[in-house]
Amino acid sequence: MAERPLEGLRGKLILVVEDDFIIATDLALALEDCGAEVLGPAASVDDALELIAAGHRLSGALLDINLGQELAYPIADELRRRGVPFIFATGYDAWIIPDPYRNMPRCEKPVDTRIVERLLNEGNANA
Amino acid sequence: MNRGDLGVNEIEDPPRRPPPGDDELLRLILESATDFAIFTMDPNGIVTSWNTGAERLLGWTSEDIIGNTADVIFPLEEGRGAASAEERRTALALGRAEDERWQERKDGSRIWASGLLMPLADRELGFVKIFRDRTEQHRSEELLRENEERFRVLAVSIPQLVFRTKPTGLRTWGSPQWSVFTGLNLAESLEFRWLDAVHPDDREETLKAWSEAPRKGEYYIEHRIRRKADDEWRWHQTRAAPLEGLKNADEWVGTSADIHDLRSLQGRQAVLLAELQHRTRNLLAVVQSLMRQTLRSSRSLEDFGAEFEGRLRALGRVQGLLARTDHRPIDLAELVTVELSAHRDGDELSDKVLIEGPPVAVRPTAAQAFALAIHELATNAVKYGALSQATGKLSVIWKLEKEGAKRLIRLDWCESGVAMSESGQPRRRGYGSELIERALPYQLMAKTKLTFGPDGVCCEIAVDQAEVEENANG
Repeated sequence: MAERPLEGLRGKLILVVEDDFIIATDLALALEDCGAEVLGPAASVDDALELIAAGHRLSGALLDINLGQELAYPIADELRRRGVPFIFATGYDAWIIPDPYRNMPRCEKPVDTRIVERLLNEGNANA
Repeated sequence: MNRGDLGVNEIEDPPRRPPPGDDELLRLILESATDFAIFTMDPNGIVTSWNTGAERLLGWTSEDIIGNTADVIFPLEEGRGAASAEERRTALALGRAEDERWQERKDGSRIWASGLLMPLADRELGFVKIFRDRTEQHRSEELLRENEERFRVLAVSIPQLVFRTKPTGLRTWGSPQWSVFTGLNLAESLEFRWLDAVHPDDREETLKAWSEAPRKGEYYIEHRIRRKADDEWRWHQTRAAPLEGLKNADEWVGTSADIHDLRSLQGRQAVLLAELQHRTRNLLAVVQSLMRQTLRSSRSLEDFGAEFEGRLRALGRVQGLLARTDHRPIDLAELVTVELSAHRDGDELSDKVLIEGPPVAVRPTAAQAFALAIHELATNAVKYGALSQATGKLSVIWKLEKEGAKRLIRLDWCESGVAMSESGQPRRRGYGSELIERALPYQLMAKTKLTFGPDGVCCEIAVDQAEVEENANG
């Protein structure tokens, strides 16, 4: 029943930010199946910023917007500042996302790793 | 001046017929003036002459009426003779009685007569009455007056703010409601002064819409208008259109309706819908991940089926609780009780199970993590622990403790009276224990400790109350 592993993210370090443990661990494993190395997952803004600050050479990031008690926008700002491409993974439609972030690449939950792979590889992610 | 002064007296007048006599002239005038009813009466109102116009307008021939009273042309409800006499008195007193009134025809129908009654030079001879038929004009004037009145009544009694305007937006009238609502009186609202009541950010759009209105033949915009009473900018829908059927086609009428509450209601509804969609997608993601992780840790498809169904049911139960509270926090005791009851197939819990602790309002996302951890503990207890053996007991007890500035919730899941198999080694590791030992630390920064003692399984969970309960950002 397992999908054929995709290797399109081989050698890339991807930060995963997702507050739900079940989704976070699954997403991390799915990305690893695609060949990526996963940083995190992180459940909060503080944890994520700490991981980013630790000086890893990040190839990209996947951010859930609603982190339970807080929103992920400060992480997006920091990634932009550092020129790290990222994708929002969210259940929200674009119109309800505030303006500076509304038109940034976004994939719908549940996340399809093939779309993540494509967005990160095509250089279409926020950078 | 006479013609001699202009030096044109050498031009002779053309030869003329001898002028008719006075009587003849009068007769000619009377007979040719068919648009005018002209008749004479003696001082008592008895008809003495009756022209063709009178015959045409009133229906009586001169033979019918000469020698009889003219009272018959006054409507019955005006008292006929009385109205007639009143008119004669006025004419005598003022030299003329000028009026517009209904006059009755021979066949009982009526015409609106505009004219006058004058005493003859020789008052002994009586009066002359001259009038013309203005029924058509009168009817359309009345209709117009009625329409105007109807419009005015409508304009001042409906809740909308009504105005009259040129197709350019140049205002010519505003209803009293407009003035009450905006605090701008009529003079302060005329021409384009009404713009003062429109939100500065909406003025450009408002005027732009007016510039397009003549071409479109209508005006429509949603903009904010200031309510004087509390200085609130309230959303209004303003429409205007030409008044149909009036000769003056550049007369428009418009209304502004308060749609503020409707708009915020629509906004709230859209946000609720987006939130619902977000929750649904998130839940789907949880289900998908749960399925994949259960699959990874299952030895067989049978294993997978049972475990996945159990977790899905637990997820369903917590969703059910959240639906009942409309996604507001759930009490911890209820969460634990519902989860344990499900594993006891509805059996009474009281003989084997003790659930006890102060109220804790668990926010929705934390509730799911708690419910799944309790589910895994309960599943284990039913399979191997306190709920599988007659002597087994389970207590789930929590209390609140202060630790520095924080308040900790300390929950103890404690099984006892259980004959542990072999050396008391854990029967189940893998995804189930991950959901107990790792999910709560990850999501709620809890500390968990799962021990398999000689007497049964114990699980200690310590978590900051602020992580569990709803805060302002919820």
